[in-house]
Amino acid sequence: MKKLKLSQDLEYIFSLALSVILALIIGAIIILANGKSPFTAYAALINGALGSPYKIATTFAKTVPLILTGLATAVAFSSGIFNIGGEGQLYLGAFAAAYVGFTFTNLPGIAGIPLALIFAALAGGFYALVPALLKVKYGIDEVITTIMFNSIATLFTSYLANYPFASSVGKMGATEMIAPAYKLLRLVARSKLHTGIFYTALIALFIYYLMEKTSAGYDFKMIGSNPIFARYGGINAERNMVIAMIISGALCGIAGAFEVLGNHYRFLQAISPGYAFDGMLVSLIVKNNVLGVILMSIFFGMLKTGSIAMEYETAIPSELVLVIQSIIILFIAGEKGFANILRRIYAKEGAGQDV
Amino acid sequence: MYREIFNITLLQNTIRTATPLILAALGGLLTSHTGILNIGMEGMILLGAFFGVAGSYFFESYLMGILFAVASGIIIGLIFALFVIRLKSDEFIVGIAINMFAGGLTMFLLRSIFGVKGAFSSPRIQPLPDISISFLENIPVLNVLLNDHSLFVYVSWILVIAIYIFLYKTPYGLWFRAAGEFPEALDTVGISSNRIKFISSILCGIFCGFAGVHLSLGYLTLFTENMSANRGFIALAAIIFGAANPLMTYVAALIFGFFDALGIRLQGVGIPSQFTQMFPYIVTVLVLILVVKRERDKKRAHQARQKGLDKSQIKAADNLAK
Repeated sequence: MKKLKLSQDLEYIFSLALSVILALIIGAIIILANGKSPFTAYAALINGALGSPYKIATTFAKTVPLILTGLATAVAFSSGIFNIGGEGQLYLGAFAAAYVGFTFTNLPGIAGIPLALIFAALAGGFYALVPALLKVKYGIDEVITTIMFNSIATLFTSYLANYPFASSVGKMGATEMIAPAYKLLRLVARSKLHTGIFYTALIALFIYYLMEKTSAGYDFKMIGSNPIFARYGGINAERNMVIAMIISGALCGIAGAFEVLGNHYRFLQAISPGYAFDGMLVSLIVKNNVLGVILMSIFFGMLKTGSIAMEYETAIPSELVLVIQSIIILFIAGEKGFANILRRIYAKEGAGQDV
Repeated sequence: MYREIFNITLLQNTIRTATPLILAALGGLLTSHTGILNIGMEGMILLGAFFGVAGSYFFESYLMGILFAVASGIIIGLIFALFVIRLKSDEFIVGIAINMFAGGLTMFLLRSIFGVKGAFSSPRIQPLPDISISFLENIPVLNVLLNDHSLFVYVSWILVIAIYIFLYKTPYGLWFRAAGEFPEALDTVGISSNRIKFISSILCGIFCGFAGVHLSLGYLTLFTENMSANRGFIALAAIIFGAANPLMTYVAALIFGFFDALGIRLQGVGIPSQFTQMFPYIVTVLVLILVVKRERDKKRAHQARQKGLDKSQIKAADNLAK
């Protein structure tokens, strides 16, 4: 049994590598079509992502929201509940953290930062609870409700940042700055890497432990992979789905909090350029594996950071990496189908030889 | 102030803002009848908007704009169908990937072809024509309301009726509905349900292309990054609200368009527009809850009837035994 799983894993890693390589080749063709050398472009990309401590720090700064929203997806999806509402949960979490930061201005950082994170987790978790309850109580498709909830949350926080909590100075669609004690320390000069990466590492460890080493994690995965078996095994699917969804929402809320505490120091009405969707794709690519989420987040962070350098040196627009990323996810989504077709062709050839 | 906001121009604007929603929703309801939830409409609209502008710019012809948008719709519909139907990928993963792909590709091409970031406009871009209907000119209210709209406003009205007839009055429409509800039955009578799903996906791509080209060449005459601005998801909401019936979905699109137009006007006088913008999403969730509740009540009533039936049967059996 274990052997079979290992060979399946190997097959998956192989198709993942193949998908990444194929997507990079398609990217190379696009670069060629723009009259540039793919080698110089990709070299600039790699150098731009890893070429100096500052660049490495920037890469890791970009992985923080990806890891958190990726883990959020992994927990929910492997429990069989599809939380597409990460973006909305992130926005509410970000606002909650900012609210704590500009309201309780007298707290020292050691109390204030955890408080802001807890508020953010509660906001995200509670917002995820609603579609989860609608699913288990009424059987309403959570994919649709969470999509709708995304827009509701971004609009609601936009209202808050433009009207009741609008900053008195400067920017439109922004709240007041958080108190200085709440600002997370920057780790490398000029880069945006902040101490949030340590919290993120701790959270990732916790999620890994939860999903891989505890019976709760086993229950989650059993519901996702084999709901009927899980029910016979006496696992309360509804309860576990709701819990997984709350954890998922809380993680997204924390991701939002770090954008406020470590990056912008206030809530902005467009604070996330779709981090939760990026994180979701990261998690889907690695089939909701916790370790995979971390590695793939770093890879996506590299692509993102490196693409700016690539644009600077070769004038290839950095958005190319978005195209490459979406092609990777498409290939991975079609992975089973491709494998089946290949197997069929292979089987046909084999049959032909027998005759 | 109320007169400034609530007047005939508001209704006229409603028709304008509802048009991209209904065009995309018509495509989405076709796939939803064949059993596919397409959340990639957002990206499909965006591609249509971009390629519409590109075609119109390069050939200085709105017809080429439409042609380009339709071509992009066919291609993205094919890709969607290839993955969802042929390769049996998860439909919503593919949908999300398409949204990301469309966002990335249009930004990339905007910069590599036109050399601009954010938005692109040019006098070379030919907008879609407005249509004047001469007999309406002398009718006071209807003239303002229905006349001199952009081409695709009228196309959308024709399509709503055409698709209603197609779905409910032709055998092909029956095939579409069967492909979603009883694919095996359809396959047994020799019609490939997968082929029907393929066709519905491509049609969805084309209709989203229409919605996109209407946005970038009819509603406005320019392309901006992410100009689909959640319309793909509002269209999804309209489909759910309208239970995938073209006429009901059109009503939903009109209602959502009304709140969109109202929001823009409220913002003009300094009232927050966020709540009017939220309306489609909140209503959709409420509709989902109501639908489920209604079905539950129906089921309960049915069960109660069954129970009653059982009792009467037992009584009858008892009587026989005596």
